[in-house]
Amino acid sequence: MQNPANAALRRIKKLANKCLLNIPKILFLGYGFGISVGAFSQEISSPDCKDCKPLNEVQVFGFSPEKFMAGLKVQKIDSVNLARYQHQSLSDFLQFQVPIALKSYGSGQLTTISFRGTSASHTAVLWNGLNINSPTVGLSDLSTIPLMGFDQMAIQFGSSASCVGSDAVGGSILLNSVPNWNNKGINSVVGGQLGSFRSGNLNAGLRLSRTSKNGVLNGKTLFYGGNIRNFNGKTPANDEVRIDRKGHEYSIEPSKTTQKGFVQDLYFRFDTKKKSTYRLIYLNTWFTDNKLTIQPSVINFREITQTQAFRFIGGTQLDNTSVKLGFIRDILDYGKGDFSNPSQASTDRYIVRAEHDFVFHKNPANLTFRTGGEFVHYATKVDGYGPNIVYENRGDAYALIRKTFDWNNQTNKIITTLNLRQAFSNFYKAPFTPAFGFIFNLFTNKLQQLEFLANVARSYRLPTLNERYWKVLGNPDIQPENGFNKEIGLEYKKFHGKYFKSSLSVNAFHNLIDNWTYWNPEKNYRVENLQQVLTKGLEFNSSFKYNNFIQQKTAGLILAYSLTDASQQKVYDVYSQNLIGKQLIYVPYHAISGSIFYGQKSWNASVQGVFNSVRYFTFDHSGQPLPPYFIVNATLTHKIKFMSQAANLVLQANNITNTVYPNIKRNAMPGVNFQLAAVFNFHQ
Amino acid sequence: MLNQFLSARTLRNLSLISLTTLALSSCEKTESTPTQPYDDGVFVINAGNFFDNNGTLSLVSRDRKITATDIFLKENNRSIAGGITDYSEVDEKGVILVDNSTDGKDVIEIVNARTFKSIASLKGEIDNPRKVIKVGTNKAYITCWDTFNADYTYKQGFVAVLDLVLNKITKKIPVDSGAEDITVIGNLAYVGNIDARPTIKVIDTQKDEVKESIEIGANPNNFVLDAANKIWMTSANAIILFDPITKTFNTKLKASTNDKKTPSSLCMSKDKKTLFCTYNFFDSADGYKLKGEISAIDISTGTHKTFINRAFSSVGFDSESEIIYTSLIPSYKQSGYIFRYQTSGILIDSVKVEIAPSRFYFK
Repeated sequence: MQNPANAALRRIKKLANKCLLNIPKILFLGYGFGISVGAFSQEISSPDCKDCKPLNEVQVFGFSPEKFMAGLKVQKIDSVNLARYQHQSLSDFLQFQVPIALKSYGSGQLTTISFRGTSASHTAVLWNGLNINSPTVGLSDLSTIPLMGFDQMAIQFGSSASCVGSDAVGGSILLNSVPNWNNKGINSVVGGQLGSFRSGNLNAGLRLSRTSKNGVLNGKTLFYGGNIRNFNGKTPANDEVRIDRKGHEYSIEPSKTTQKGFVQDLYFRFDTKKKSTYRLIYLNTWFTDNKLTIQPSVINFREITQTQAFRFIGGTQLDNTSVKLGFIRDILDYGKGDFSNPSQASTDRYIVRAEHDFVFHKNPANLTFRTGGEFVHYATKVDGYGPNIVYENRGDAYALIRKTFDWNNQTNKIITTLNLRQAFSNFYKAPFTPAFGFIFNLFTNKLQQLEFLANVARSYRLPTLNERYWKVLGNPDIQPENGFNKEIGLEYKKFHGKYFKSSLSVNAFHNLIDNWTYWNPEKNYRVENLQQVLTKGLEFNSSFKYNNFIQQKTAGLILAYSLTDASQQKVYDVYSQNLIGKQLIYVPYHAISGSIFYGQKSWNASVQGVFNSVRYFTFDHSGQPLPPYFIVNATLTHKIKFMSQAANLVLQANNITNTVYPNIKRNAMPGVNFQLAAVFNFHQ
Repeated sequence: MLNQFLSARTLRNLSLISLTTLALSSCEKTESTPTQPYDDGVFVINAGNFFDNNGTLSLVSRDRKITATDIFLKENNRSIAGGITDYSEVDEKGVILVDNSTDGKDVIEIVNARTFKSIASLKGEIDNPRKVIKVGTNKAYITCWDTFNADYTYKQGFVAVLDLVLNKITKKIPVDSGAEDITVIGNLAYVGNIDARPTIKVIDTQKDEVKESIEIGANPNNFVLDAANKIWMTSANAIILFDPITKTFNTKLKASTNDKKTPSSLCMSKDKKTLFCTYNFFDSADGYKLKGEISAIDISTGTHKTFINRAFSSVGFDSESEIIYTSLIPSYKQSGYIFRYQTSGILIDSVKVEIAPSRFYFK
């Protein structure tokens, strides 16, 4: 759903003086977590490439929340993929990784994600553990998050609010920066990309590692910048349209997105002379600036949205204790014409988080007990809230427990997690949020493994600042939303001989979300806790992979399908009867994503496809829905030696069938287009 | 609201409509399919939701509860690419004003009024078109806001002169900012605004020039003509009567005693004795609920009464059937309804239409 506050804002601005009534104008499968059982676990981590090595480090560094998500489905994105598509934004990347609903306003424009039929604000986007959703609108515009900004990524389905906090009602996206301790000396990287529509990107950076007598310093510095356009020529014609196979025409909305940013990560691990102790201090910095201009060629027609984020984390990890200090400034400016007088929204967040893991030394793997607390101070200045800075404090206290059990002399046969969380605020009562996760290893032998997963969780979403403070339309009495998610799954993995492996998983979920907020048109778009939504569905993931180390050949087929049924449950006014039980807007019943790849020595070719069934954009399914679409991308990569150093060439062809399909504003998405990228690595 | 009535009446006066002529919605494939009755009925202008760009026109049958939805799509196999702000007919041509959420993408769709087949699409020539009215043979005026300034204030508005023979905008006549409603009496067109300008601009429709500017009061809008060709309108939250001959205004009517309420969507009964309007407000004392009524004002005495005690987004009077049409918008993401009432105030029926029914065109 389009964020109604923004919609309301724009509408109000455009229509301010109208009469009263007119105002409202991924590719690995999830392997479960942590310690797997028996011989199989050693096989799993067989890396496809050198780049994958840093993945192992995460067990050491950081307080990975996934450990406490037993029974939830988590898909880790492999680092090869992240590197291959590093010039993309999350919005372009994600749609080919998982069958998920993305709601896009156009190429390079606002794109939000919907997990399992929930809304964008029910997705926690975490960067190094901190929620980076915009506090004003309560969601992340994935088009403004480039893959350049982080090193690892995982997609988690289902409610994990008890583990990661507010917003994780439908799912979460976990983005992490990680040190590469294996790296020695200085590695520098220079990359660039050129594409259709005069689009292009540049990036330059270095990774360094220095060992001193006190310890090891590891760091990463990266600058990136680029443009995305969706039109040819300097001044696009006003009447340009694309026509689909059924003859329906969609107009092309010219836009230009300029993205730039800077990443600085620094880690210092103290040499403690003892393996049993671990001391680390670190700094993560990420500045990102995204400027979207619609109708860039004509000043009078321009509509500009500038999204900036300044993110800092300073932290320390001393054995089992972690303290994190964070500062995030989010700026969202929106304006017309020469952008001389934009409406402005700026929010600062000061974050303190402390965690301690109690590990019971007799058998550390069996029981981990983590306690933690977080305090966030908000200071926000938004034109729509009035002239004053608005302050708010929020707090969280939590206990996360993981216990494994042996059974019939099999170790770790059962993994359980119990999470308890309570959020605090002066203004509203957040629900107590417990969650219980369970993994039962049905059988494991050298060649195959079958696990049963289950998770029952409460979840919550705290009100956004817009919901609380927007003049007149906001509602100081707004309450947090709360969800109750239940899910079960089966995960099966098998090796076929030396080189082949396959996996199959099935998950079923049922999530009831209550107090769902709604900007109620009947009350001039005042926000209220009016709705109740039930989402339920099935997900299938399968893969079949071939990896021959000796001949350096890889091949594979990955296919994922999701069935999502999401509907309104509660009648809140006489006209809401028309929408009860009907599929929520922008949520496809059926979504499929798949890819097929083949690699030999320095070459790799892959084809990715995504299908979305029909999507409605009206509550009662009236009017012409957004038609189903199927789009296919193809990627060819080649490693070369350049000045005796490694370089990667990536040729990408997007939408190769030249499918015409509309975005949310019912404008045409780009047809077939191409990108050629080269990334050079220099090692000193 | 007014200009539909005016146009409808003008058309009738000119006897251009013959209800019995071949309904021509020429079906290319199957000749046996019944033709669409675009020669008769009530057009409902569904504004659509702003960023969905999904304005539509529905045609509601006068005597039955039948609605043909999205008739433009049906006849042209393409959707209107934007919201719809107005529809009117000029010499058997229908003019649809299309407001896209992207500046520079607004469209004037010109269709054959009887078959609804597209004749021309004028794309990107004017921005924020508001109202269209016939001013002469194959000639129409379209009031426009133009694009907004960077600070969202209005630029100078204009009236676009549409030549329906050439299907071209031939001239833009500068008027007040926020140009909105327009009415025509003889060779003069009167243009109001919603940008708090206190004036009406009078345009000589022969010369296509502003002839004079008459001070009235803020936001002169919602024009409707009475039997004596005087203009009833809303201005500064009141209903006033403007005499185009003497260039004076005299009657100030408050449709009820609640000052928070805003009169809008004026229309006149067939006998020109009763003025109807919506009279709505958001009640801050009751959770900002939309409340209001349809008021009926006896124009000879100035007395008013609550005609229908319910909040509607618009009201229209169908002189042919003498039935009152009102529209209701539950939200901009679901179909709205029209409610039909007899002149006695008795509810006849309600009919589901499309997204945001906002105006009517009685044919």
